[in-house]
Amino acid sequence: MAYQPKPPEGWLKTNLRYYKHSGSWAWILHRITGLGLTAYIFVHIYALTSLTQGPQAFDNEMKLFSTPVFKVLEWLLFSLVLFHAFNGVRIVLVDWASGAKNHKKILTLVYGLGVVLFIGMGVLMFREPLANMFASIR
Amino acid sequence: MYKHTGSRGSGAPSWVLQRITGLLLVVVVIGHYFVMHANPASGHTYAAVLDRMHQPFWKMFDLTFITVGLWHGLNGTWGIFRDYKMKPAVSLTIYGIIILSGIAFWVLGVNTILSF
Repeated sequence: MAYQPKPPEGWLKTNLRYYKHSGSWAWILHRITGLGLTAYIFVHIYALTSLTQGPQAFDNEMKLFSTPVFKVLEWLLFSLVLFHAFNGVRIVLVDWASGAKNHKKILTLVYGLGVVLFIGMGVLMFREPLANMFASIR
Repeated sequence: MYKHTGSRGSGAPSWVLQRITGLLLVVVVIGHYFVMHANPASGHTYAAVLDRMHQPFWKMFDLTFITVGLWHGLNGTWGIFRDYKMKPAVSLTIYGIIILSGIAFWVLGVNTILSF
């Protein structure tokens, strides 16, 4: 058995204590969002098997997915898609183009574009239901 | 003998393919969002979905999405595990779960697409 240096404390503590640059956070977020999206594709494939069970089963499911809770979850899912897609493009630029020179600027763009599109999607998704909700009060 | 299952090889092919499939998925996801979510009525009613499912183009689109998406996701998941030193038994178990769940859900998805 080769010599294996042991960290002075636990694995988690070592990782948490390690100083993180903006790029480290992007790396961590890319992994977390990636795992989340992978979990989601499993759910998505399973959910759509209802298509083979006829219109009734499918419409019932769509009714469930258009409830407010699922709408908000879908919106949050979009944030994972946005970050993972934009940061993925950044990774490709760093690996295959001269993105390494500007990776921090590109990261700013990733977060900026992400936040703008996330808010934009929120407006698109919730403008009507919110307007309807407040219409009764007005 | 390789001591750590899955650590043999450089991993370069999966690294290259992860980037290629990633770029492809960005394009496919944009299409998916416009078709499915820009107009919820045409995206999510049973009749509209079935209509799309009968067109060869959308069949190919969905088959590509499922195949590339699952591969990218599971290759990425395995890439994360590969970063940690695992006992051969643990590594083999995780690799097995990834491969088997990938095949199972790919079959499930392809079955849905091809039943129309």
